[in-house]
Amino acid sequence: MGNSQEKLAYEWVTVEAGNVDVSSEFYCATRDVFEARFGRMIRELFEKREDDASIVSAVVGEIANNSFDHNLGNWRDVPGIFFGYSFSEDKIEIVLADRGRGIFSTLKKVKPEIENDQEALTVAFTERISGRAPEKRGNGLKFVRENVQSKKMHLSFYSGKAKAELNDEMKIEENLENIGGCLVIITL
Amino acid sequence: MRIELKKIGEVLVSRPAGREAFLVISAYNLKDLTEDEEIEIDFSGVKVIAPSWADEVITKIAERFKNVKLLNAENETVQATLKTLREYSGLKI
Repeated sequence: MGNSQEKLAYEWVTVEAGNVDVSSEFYCATRDVFEARFGRMIRELFEKREDDASIVSAVVGEIANNSFDHNLGNWRDVPGIFFGYSFSEDKIEIVLADRGRGIFSTLKKVKPEIENDQEALTVAFTERISGRAPEKRGNGLKFVRENVQSKKMHLSFYSGKAKAELNDEMKIEENLENIGGCLVIITL
Repeated sequence: MRIELKKIGEVLVSRPAGREAFLVISAYNLKDLTEDEEIEIDFSGVKVIAPSWADEVITKIAERFKNVKLLNAENETVQATLKTLREYSGLKI
């Protein structure tokens, strides 16, 4: 992990349950807390980078709300998400993490033939499928992938022992460390 | 019937928020309308919209009514969201 915000998110998502920093300013225990901070992020982003603000905000909203939609009542231990952002003149960075079930566990329930974390990430970003079937949903990460490409963003998505790198193209590979839940880093 | 989304909010993300919006619109805007009624969905003033929210509102309105028009839909996220709904949610408008 590169900078301090990324390291904090990495620590937050990987430490033992009893050591999770729930007093962190980046911790959003509920969707309401996230939405309040998300609203502040959007205002700041429109002030600094108006041309990119709407798409970047929509991408962040989809990823963060996925965490709540798919883990409500099923968090592994600590509920909620880590949500941090920093904007400078030439760089946007947004970091999200959750200690939920992860993509593989979520999708295996509705597509049992998925065998590992890498396959699960591939399916999540390319197929219309939702862990909440029979609800008709499952378009969020496809929207994320297409708009990361169109806006020239870079997105790293870790879940389990897999890592997806998205920019002009998508590359999914094994990640040596196991990320229980999800860790997402967006840069532009 | 015209539905001005800015009256719901300028940031429209998340399925729970979309579901709530659809219930309100159904009760106050769409009640007693026949499927032939013209429905105009006006996106003016919307800063951010995401497919999760829109799937709960736009897709459902389009499934119920035959004549749905989208107004002031030039915003970048509106266009990106509609594209996603057309590709992955079967939106026909």
